[in-house]
This record gives sequence, C-alpha cells and structure tokens, in this order.
Amino acid sequence: MIGQLIMTGIVAGSIYALVALAMSLTYKSSEVANFAQGEMAMFSTYVAFVMLATYQLPFWVAFGGSLLFAFLLGLFLHLAIIRRAKDPNVLNLLIITLGFQVFLYGLAGWKWGSEQRVLKIPVSQTETVEFAGLIISQLNLATILVAILLMISVYILLRFTKLGLAIKATQQNETAAKINGIPTRRIVAITFGISSVIGAVAGILMAPITTLDPNMMIEPLLKGFAAAVLGGFNSLAGVVCGAFILGIVESLFGFYISTEFKSIVAFLIIVIVLYFKPSGLFGTHYTRKV
Amino acid sequence: MKNLNHLIAIVIFVTITSCGRGRGSSESSSQTAEVGVTDSTITIGTWGPLTGPAALWGNVPRGVDAYFHYINEKGGIHGRKINVVIKDDGFQPSKTVAAVREMVEKDKVFAFVGGVGTAPCMAVKDYIARNEVPWVSPASGATHWAYPPQNNLFSTYSLYFDEAFVQVDHIVNSLGKDKIAMIYQNDDFGKSGLVGVKIAMEKYDLELVEEVSTEVTDQDLGSHVAKLKDSGAEVVIMQVLPRQGAIITGTAAVLGYAPQWITNSTLSDTELMHKITEGRWAGVRFSGFFNYEADVDMEGYQAALKDKYPDLPWTTFVASGYYFAEPVAKALQDSGPDLTREKFIQAMENIRDFSGLGFGISFGEGERQGTRGAAMFECSENGQAEQISALKMSELNLDYAIEKLAEE
Repeated sequence: MIGQLIMTGIVAGSIYALVALAMSLTYKSSEVANFAQGEMAMFSTYVAFVMLATYQLPFWVAFGGSLLFAFLLGLFLHLAIIRRAKDPNVLNLLIITLGFQVFLYGLAGWKWGSEQRVLKIPVSQTETVEFAGLIISQLNLATILVAILLMISVYILLRFTKLGLAIKATQQNETAAKINGIPTRRIVAITFGISSVIGAVAGILMAPITTLDPNMMIEPLLKGFAAAVLGGFNSLAGVVCGAFILGIVESLFGFYISTEFKSIVAFLIIVIVLYFKPSGLFGTHYTRKV
Repeated sequence: MKNLNHLIAIVIFVTITSCGRGRGSSESSSQTAEVGVTDSTITIGTWGPLTGPAALWGNVPRGVDAYFHYINEKGGIHGRKINVVIKDDGFQPSKTVAAVREMVEKDKVFAFVGGVGTAPCMAVKDYIARNEVPWVSPASGATHWAYPPQNNLFSTYSLYFDEAFVQVDHIVNSLGKDKIAMIYQNDDFGKSGLVGVKIAMEKYDLELVEEVSTEVTDQDLGSHVAKLKDSGAEVVIMQVLPRQGAIITGTAAVLGYAPQWITNSTLSDTELMHKITEGRWAGVRFSGFFNYEADVDMEGYQAALKDKYPDLPWTTFVASGYYFAEPVAKALQDSGPDLTREKFIQAMENIRDFSGLGFGISFGEGERQGTRGAAMFECSENGQAEQISALKMSELNLDYAIEKLAEE
C-alpha cells in the first residue's frame, strides 16, 4: 500500500512541479509571483477543449494550438499589462497578476459556463500499467513522463542555449545584462510565455481526470506555490523537489493520519520550513537583490 | 472624531429612513391591494448563481422562470400573467441579501419561489420572514426551512437526512450489504448526509467501516480512495459535488476498486455525470425526489423552456425549478381571484398529495416540509436515470438528527 501511495503522491507532485516551475521561472526573471498562472493554464486548456470539441481538430493540432495560445497569452500579460505599469513595485505587480487572474476566471465563466466539461485526450485515464506490483493509469504515467521531460527541457534551455544564457543573465543582473546588449525586456516577456506554456501542459494533463471547469486550477496553483516556497523559489531544481516532497507527504498523510487535514498539511510544512530555513529547503539565501 | 460622529449620524439616519420606507409601503399597499398583485399580473421573485463558480445551479431559477412562462402561455392564473423577477447572487450570501431586499422593496414581489443554496438562503430567511413575504421551496435539503416551521416558508426539497435514510434502507434491505463506507464533503451538506446515514444504520446495529472527508477544492483523491479500498467496503456512499464524484470513481477504477456506488439527488443529473465520467457512472444508484414517470404535460414543459431559453437543455436543475414552482401555481389557482398573501399561505397549507414532477407534496398547519420521502434510481448504460424502487418514506427522527449534526 505504501508504494501505491507514494506513486499517487508522485503523480500529484508532477502537476505541482509544473505549476511551481512556471511560477518560479517568472519569479526569477521579474520578481513577480504570477498568481494568474493557474487561470492562464485553465484558459489555455479551454482553448484546447474548443479546438477538440467544437472544431473537431485532431488532438495534436489542438495540443499545439493550445500551447501556442498559452505562449501568446504569457507575452500578452507581460507586454500589454505588466510592462505598462508605472513605477511598479513588487506589491503592485502582484496585484496586477491577481487582477488578470480574476479577469480570466470571469471571462472563462462567461464564455463557457461553469458546468463540467470533458477534455478527451488519446491517453486512457482508467486503463492501467502495472510494474513492481504498483498500478498506475496510462494518463498518470504520461503525466509523470511529460513533467520530467519538460523539466529536462527547461534545464537544457537554460544551460545550453543562447536564449537560456540571456534569461539567466537577465535574472541575475538585469542592468548588467542590458549593458551587454541583451534585450532584457524581450527576454522577460519570453520567460512569461514559456511559463504559461508549462502551466498549460499541466492543465491539459489534469483536465481529463478532474474535469474542466473555471475552478480547476485554483487548488493546483496554491499547491504549486506552496511547493515553490518549500523548495526555495529561486532554485528550479529546488521547486521540483519541493513539489514531489509535497505530493508524497500529502498522500501519506491523507491515508495514515487524516484526509480532513490533508489540504492543510502543505501549508503547515511551509510554516515549519520557513521558520528554520527562510529561503526554502534548496534555495540559496540572499539578503537583497541589487 | 467629529467626522466619525457625522458618519455614524448619517448611517443611522439612512437606516431609519430606509426601514421606515420599507414598512410604510407594504402597509399602505396592503390596504388597497396586495403587494405584487395587479389586475393583470402577479410578480414572483427568484434568484440563484447565474454567473460565477456555482453557475451550474443558475439553471434552477431559469427553470422557475420557464415554468411560469408555461403557465402564462396557457392563459395565466385567474386572468393574471405571472411576472418573474430573477436576480443573480453568484452564490454569495452578501449579494443574496442585496438582491432579495431589492426584490422586496423595489420590485415589490408577491412571493418568492426557489433561491439556491443553504448559505445564501439562510442569509435572507429572517429578512423575508420579517417582511411577511411567502417563500416556497428554497433549493436546499437542509432542515432550516421547516424545522421549526415558519408561517411564510414552505420546503419541497427532500431533506439530505431523509435521502440518507432511503439510501441505507436500500443498501440493507434490497442489496443485502452491510459493509458500508462513506465519502462526504467536509461541510454542512456533506455532514448532513453522514449523520443521516449513521442514524439510519443504528436501526440495523451497523456502523460505517470507513468515513472519509474531502474538501470541495481537492483535486487529488488518491489517498481518500485508497482508504475506502483498504476498508473492504462493498458499498460506498458519496455525498459530494459532481467534480468529486468524477474524480472518486476515476481514481477507484485505476486502483481496481469497484464497490456499489450510492449517492443522492445532488448527483442525480445522470446525463452530465455519465458524460464527465466517460461512462463510469453506469450502475451508480442514487436517491432522488423526481418521478420520471410523472403525469405532467412534459411536452408543454419542454416547449416552454425552448421558447424562453432556446439554448438551455432540459436537465435536472431546470426540472427542479419547475418542481419548485408547481405547487405555487396550484396555490395561486386555489386562492381565487382576490389574491392576498394570507389566502395564498392558506392555500399552500391546504395542499395534500400534490404530485407534479415529484412523488407527492403535502403541507398542513404547522407542517412546512412538503415531502419526507425519496425513491432509488440507477444510471443506465447510456446515462439515463431508471427508477429501481418505489417511493420510500423516511422514518428518521429529525430532532435527534439535528442534534447530532450540531455535534459533528
């Protein structure tokens, strides 16, 4: 049983990891914790739904289209909204993202209503694969694999490409990066786009199980945020580890101790971790970014 | 400080004057004719979440509206057309208060029909009572509406307690099973089901083998379902919302756990459930208060809906709007041409064994809960609800149940 519970935790952790990764990427590049991340993912998932159900497009076209939409939505948020803010401080930016979240939530409710929708994807959510005595559905397995694949891609992007180098340079010291000819604003906008795509993948992987409605990303966003704080917001490897730890702890806690307090355990862990290690489990501590 | 005093003075002044106006108008109008009634119209108010996260239930007030459209098309009642005022409260009690005040003081409704949700309805219960506006069928299975009885308030929704009783009766006597577990939403709605089930099981000297609570926002129910499976329960009762129902049955299918699922009227929209669970809902049994073979003008009902709301399909939520409004039309008819609120309440009290879309509603002096029974249904392979048992009346001791719920 314990193996099965850990497996369940890893599946949940994969979703948290994607959301946390997306949040931490934008945070690193712009110091904005983007609370619209979840709603952007939800909205992109609806776009996939419309292409699949209304226009009857093949899954991969809808999938690609939805990710493209997500990327543009990320760019839009940064170029059209965040960058327009006059003398923004962190609090203002945070409120802007909250405003964007409410806007998308309302728009989705108005456009598609709040009834549950079915997102059909070519991976079965009830057919199972068995290995080492553990049962996992094909969709859950795909979720884990896609999440890992995406994490590796982000790693490769940051480590081995010019774009990645520019992103990192912008993150570390925006002024110095600008002096060295890096178009930092464009880079930050692209980071928003990439984050939005990662979120959209999480949304599409989740929707077949949880059904699609405007509320679907509220909880994963909070958990992803919690995971990012737990792992250390400025360490990408850290947030991923934080997400898996959170998923597994929740699953074990729910079974052995109490389902009633399962949702709270995430926040309890955060309080404890932050008390002893304010920068998160794997975060590097710094007093102030100059 | 001075400013503060001014502010307080203004607030007090506004409150006093607005209260005065509200009372004055109802008094003066009751001397001439009844509030909300003219020679050619009767104004009825209703509300629900037309927008926002709970908008799925917004189809209940639309159903009420469509039902009165049906009545109007048939010539109205004693020559009067029913004018329905619908307000959107987004399922937020604070907005419900504003909406209901507006309907009482500005729109001058004669009566209320429906109104969705326990919390929103609780927020306006006292206000509506103070203004002596008749109110039929709050859309909630809580006991707050009829216990203790209140002169102006009539409930037609079957109680969650009573549905639980009928479910347990079915499990023990028809299925012959006694290893029962329950998964419930961690709030008043879920716990009402839990308490009802527990009390109903006492009669058979049974106890739940496992009880698991879920939060309405929970997306990952892996450990919940693992617990249910681990308990070895042959029957699992769910008192949750549609999304959770889909996640629970999906997670169980992955874990190879296939108990007999039992649920209540909240998940009785089999078409929706069948669709969002991709067919897993087939075989799920549930208690409900709709009579699918009811002797009503179904064609006329559906035509009225199509006429009023062309895009809205005939679903359980729409149908419940009709169900809530049916006894109102009857009582308006029975009140005669000189309609007053007093006569209307009297006519509501005189309703006995009235069956529209339901199995039979009866009220009486001091009896404000119209129905205490439910029947059992099963979702068929193609997502249709099929009735599998006759109407069963609940024998649950409500005082005891209310007391137990307070302890939970």
